[in-house]
Amino acid sequence: MAVPGIGMAGPAGVNTTSFQKKSRSKLVSIPGTRPSVQNGQLIVSTGVTSLDYVIGGGLAVGTLLLVEEDRYDSYSRMLLKYFLAEGVVCGHEVFLASDRDHPDEIMQELPSPIVDEVGSVKTKEGQAQPCDQENQDTMTIAWRYQNQPKVQNALASSVRFGHYYDVSKTMEPEVRQAVKCHSFYALQESPTTTELSLLSSPYHALLQSIQSVIRKEGFDVSTPQSKVRNVLRLGLHSLGSPLWGDDLCCTDNPTHCHALTTFLYALRGLLRTSLSVAVVTVPSHLMQNKSVMGQIIRLSDTAIALESFRGSEKETNPLYKDYHGLLHVRQVPRLNCLVCEVPDTKDLAFKLKRKQFTIERLHLPPDLSETVSRVSKIELAGGCGTTATGNKHLDF
Amino acid sequence: MLLNIVHGTESGGFIVVEDTVKYSGREILKCFINAAIKRGEDVHVLGFETSEAELRAGLDSSSGQKIHFHKGHPDPLGWTCKSSVTVQQFNTPDITRLVQNTPHTKAAVLIVDSLSFILRHHQPVVICRSLQELKKVGVVKTIVGLLHSDLHLQGVVKSVCHLANAVISVAPANNEHCGVAKTTRRTKSGKLMQEEEYFDVSEDAALSVKTRTHQPGHVQTEPDKPKADPTSNLTFNLRLSKKEKEAKEKVALPFVFSQEKKSALLRPTPGTGRITYEPDAYDDFDEEDPDDDLDV
Repeated sequence: MAVPGIGMAGPAGVNTTSFQKKSRSKLVSIPGTRPSVQNGQLIVSTGVTSLDYVIGGGLAVGTLLLVEEDRYDSYSRMLLKYFLAEGVVCGHEVFLASDRDHPDEIMQELPSPIVDEVGSVKTKEGQAQPCDQENQDTMTIAWRYQNQPKVQNALASSVRFGHYYDVSKTMEPEVRQAVKCHSFYALQESPTTTELSLLSSPYHALLQSIQSVIRKEGFDVSTPQSKVRNVLRLGLHSLGSPLWGDDLCCTDNPTHCHALTTFLYALRGLLRTSLSVAVVTVPSHLMQNKSVMGQIIRLSDTAIALESFRGSEKETNPLYKDYHGLLHVRQVPRLNCLVCEVPDTKDLAFKLKRKQFTIERLHLPPDLSETVSRVSKIELAGGCGTTATGNKHLDF
Repeated sequence: MLLNIVHGTESGGFIVVEDTVKYSGREILKCFINAAIKRGEDVHVLGFETSEAELRAGLDSSSGQKIHFHKGHPDPLGWTCKSSVTVQQFNTPDITRLVQNTPHTKAAVLIVDSLSFILRHHQPVVICRSLQELKKVGVVKTIVGLLHSDLHLQGVVKSVCHLANAVISVAPANNEHCGVAKTTRRTKSGKLMQEEEYFDVSEDAALSVKTRTHQPGHVQTEPDKPKADPTSNLTFNLRLSKKEKEAKEKVALPFVFSQEKKSALLRPTPGTGRITYEPDAYDDFDEEDPDDDLDV
């Protein structure tokens, strides 16, 4: 299923021998990649460490991650920037296609990597530390619990993979220009649709552009290995929006309803035979035809959806007050096996701190206000129909 | 926020004024024209739905030459060649030519009255692309379009609003003469701002924001009913005086240990536990194997 010659663990995954391990370790020579713990697939980081954890360690090379955009495209755009920034830091080649803003503008907004990695690890450990001095005094009765570690919401694997980024700063232009970046701007393409091809023209042009990059820069696995191998990261922004010449978002039965699915099918074929990995964002909230959206999910390997609380009634729900939105994992890939790595929890939420975008397990915050529980108790008493319901003051 | 957008203090881009048959957004459109003239900017109006006289009514007549009215109203489809602009001309090259025909000192504002009319005669996809191109080309600083959202499919309205930097949806207020405007603005950094305001437009197209309604989504807290205090008239004393409280604090409770003892108890002692037992005289310690009567 995956790239031949890369995920060696494929058909022989049952009997793992030391011989395979050797061949695997040879492949890790590409910076920013490592073999997956589950299936030996070569994986890269998405740039968000907690997202890597959720989708089973990272993105396998040769696969496609679909991100369903949130309503105002603020967080999905951020995910895309994280993905590209990780590529820049690891020295991968980058290909960015966009519709609304010019790709160069998006590239200029990439978040800056946190170079002082030791420091960031330190602070992480600091959070996990049992408790600090001020908390010591607070526990008078249940003091035996004060050394208990706090519940860890943040998702992270034990091994460091990927980098941390500071979204409040943009990446240095020198760092950015060190890697090769290809771009594709949908608006520059002519909007006319050619009758000959199945694809409408911007998709066709995009596919050809990706194809030529893969061929020319030697990402194709079928070509003899001549030089040092590298990974190509493809970021495709807002596919299916009207600016791609696609009326999926406008009507129920679009004129080219197979344009995007055909494109994704061809793209996935291209990815499978090359050292490349793609992140595609789709404005699913605009899509009128839900069955098309289902097809799009089936045509991608990993699919996640971002649901921002902005502008919805969930914004004021006390359950969600610590978070900015929900993350739904729609699909996890089954690579070279029948089962997939099922995430241990499906209640995931994301939040954008001042500097960092993280995904956490959603859990109820402790209700510290006095009124809430008291009110519910009164209601409970009313429901039971006891004699105490009538008069509000205690009578002895 | 509505005032900021109309007066252009927040950078331009593409602004959609969304209205329905219940409340017209054309008044807001006039405010945009008025504000732009006052800033000394040239205003290009693509008028397909109203006549020039109707639109100019109430606007400052002295600065009339700042408004370039492109008449599309009498003959929008160009059947009798009476109009200066037709619906077919809504594309980037034609509009660029139209705007650049007149020399400008400052960036111009393009008012589209209305997008709905154009959307009826073009593919929505084409319109979306044209709007985005116009925004990118930069011949006009701001594009303001009126969109009658009840005339189109939900998907078309959403797609057009998705492109906009700011969306102003107007609706009638419940019991007052003014309208309610729900403004959603997306900043360049991707942040989103939303506000709901009551507004009023005077005769001379001046906008005044009356009051801010409560934040959308913020649930209005219902006025608390005076709760009966169950401890109000008791036959015994539940409260402590200050002196009594002090006395209570002084009492040492069982199992409340000093700081030192607590820390000693809490100190992790990994794997050092040992059981030491010293048998005393009364212990009946059997030397024999207790299992030796078993038939093993």
